[in-house]
Amino acid sequence: MNDDRAIRVLATAALALGALAVVAGSPRKSGPALDVAQLAREVSNESDHVTAVELAGWIRDRKAGLRIIDIRDSASFEESHVPGAVRQSLDEVAVAPVKDGETIVLYSGGGAHAAQAWVLLRSRGVKDVFFLRGGYDEWMDEVMNPRFPRNAPPEERAAMDSIAALSRYFGGVPRNVDSLIVRNRDHDGQASWKAAVKRARGRGC
Amino acid sequence: MRAYSNPYLSGFGLGLVLLSAFVFAGRGLGASGAFASAAAATAAVAAPDATQANDYFARYLSASGKPAIDWLVIELIGVVVGGFISAYLAGRLRRGVEKGPRISNRSRLTLAFAGGGAMGLGAVLARGCTSGQALTGGALLSAGSWLFIGAAFAAAYLAAPFLRKAWT
Amino acid sequence: MITPFSDGGYASGAAALLIGAAFGWFLERAGMGSARKLAGQFYLTDLTVFKVMFTAIVTAMLGVFWLGWIGVIDTANIYVPETFLIPQIVGGVVFGIGFAIAGLCPGTSCVAAATGRIDGFAVVAGMFAGVLGSGILFASLRQFYDLTPRGVLTLPQIFGVSEGLVVFAVVLIAMAGFKVANRIEQRNSAA
Repeated sequence: MNDDRAIRVLATAALALGALAVVAGSPRKSGPALDVAQLAREVSNESDHVTAVELAGWIRDRKAGLRIIDIRDSASFEESHVPGAVRQSLDEVAVAPVKDGETIVLYSGGGAHAAQAWVLLRSRGVKDVFFLRGGYDEWMDEVMNPRFPRNAPPEERAAMDSIAALSRYFGGVPRNVDSLIVRNRDHDGQASWKAAVKRARGRGC
Repeated sequence: MRAYSNPYLSGFGLGLVLLSAFVFAGRGLGASGAFASAAAATAAVAAPDATQANDYFARYLSASGKPAIDWLVIELIGVVVGGFISAYLAGRLRRGVEKGPRISNRSRLTLAFAGGGAMGLGAVLARGCTSGQALTGGALLSAGSWLFIGAAFAAAYLAAPFLRKAWT
Repeated sequence: MITPFSDGGYASGAAALLIGAAFGWFLERAGMGSARKLAGQFYLTDLTVFKVMFTAIVTAMLGVFWLGWIGVIDTANIYVPETFLIPQIVGGVVFGIGFAIAGLCPGTSCVAAATGRIDGFAVVAGMFAGVLGSGILFASLRQFYDLTPRGVLTLPQIFGVSEGLVVFAVVLIAMAGFKVANRIEQRNSAA
């Protein structure tokens, strides 16, 4: 019968297209294939995260497509959060759709969860995703309550002043202190103004 | 009255229709969404303020709270037109009640209304029906749509033995 | 993506009407406007529903996959229904029971009504009443309605495999299902 022949042709075509689909992988260009070596390079050359000061600059300059995601619990989020941030659980981050041209910044309380969320999103093929390395703590320490040594050399003073201005933009309270070491002894890394100075020099601007 | 077409070929045609909806309209097919839109419009005429305050109906109204003509409503009008033309050309237009031999027209119509009501509630909770969830979401490999397909068919098979009198 | 008829204007309306008409045409051609034929699905005497539905799903799925792959459509722009685990399972159960009672689903009830079936009109009316009632009571359903949101969640994400692999698996399962369906129909019609 004519119908039977048509059905056989369709069934064969469906099987062939289905089998080829396995080889083709995914129609989404970004693809789910996880290039672990590439991720490792991004981590080691430090292009995986932003500092709190960089993030503050992005927010102030209204960087296009910026989306800030807070993955702390909702109680902490209700209490206070980075301006413009939305709260999502790690589960939601894992599946939430991401549009082209969006830059995503993740943060958690300390930084570990945000780093893990970064891996989730990168492994989904999302390109422009960063995490706040020191978490919300870093935001509070470096943007909202930055402390600068009174006796800083003049070439570093300029960087500090711009950070202080940024801090005031967000309603922060920058302070000059005599000894940075004592005040910040619980902070693991170097203060972000130092990192910012280093980066600025590295770029040669 | 001509015999119905081969189910696989009709299914293939239906699949192409669904695909063209994806390609040309950027969305899938639906039916329960049209009912929701019509229900929202009815409610908006009867009780404008309460309807605008209703989270479910509000999304089917225009920004000003007026009834809006939804894409799915026009699509469902198309379904009625297409079904009518197909049946007319095949000589299958027939006024009557379809039921099993052991049940009265009245009982059949009562069951049909009740079943429709249950499907209405189910479609609201599941955010779609056989068209919007099963066909559309199924083809897009949505996890919730496949859960819906599984749950709906499992429940229908479990309920069927109790309804034997209505159909056989 | 170029979706010329998604603007909400007259062209969009015309496309909706045409796509709907084609939808209704194929439903009627397959006999899906007949409640008795649909009910046969649940007594394993007529598996048309299963065959039509899964052929349509497989066709559209392969079409979306390959048109996306060659770049004709941007699959990121097609709205994938979001997953809400518990409401969709419970909604599916309630819907399935209603389907077995009514013998028609929302789309096919419109075809049944269009072709003169009074029971089709009754299902349409019931469906309308059900949606209207659920909408009116939505405030009390709301909490349940919002349970277990999972966003856009797809089978490839759940199983952690490529989309192509899931596509192939669905094709294979459908083919196996069609073989079984044909056998069941032969057995039950011979008996």
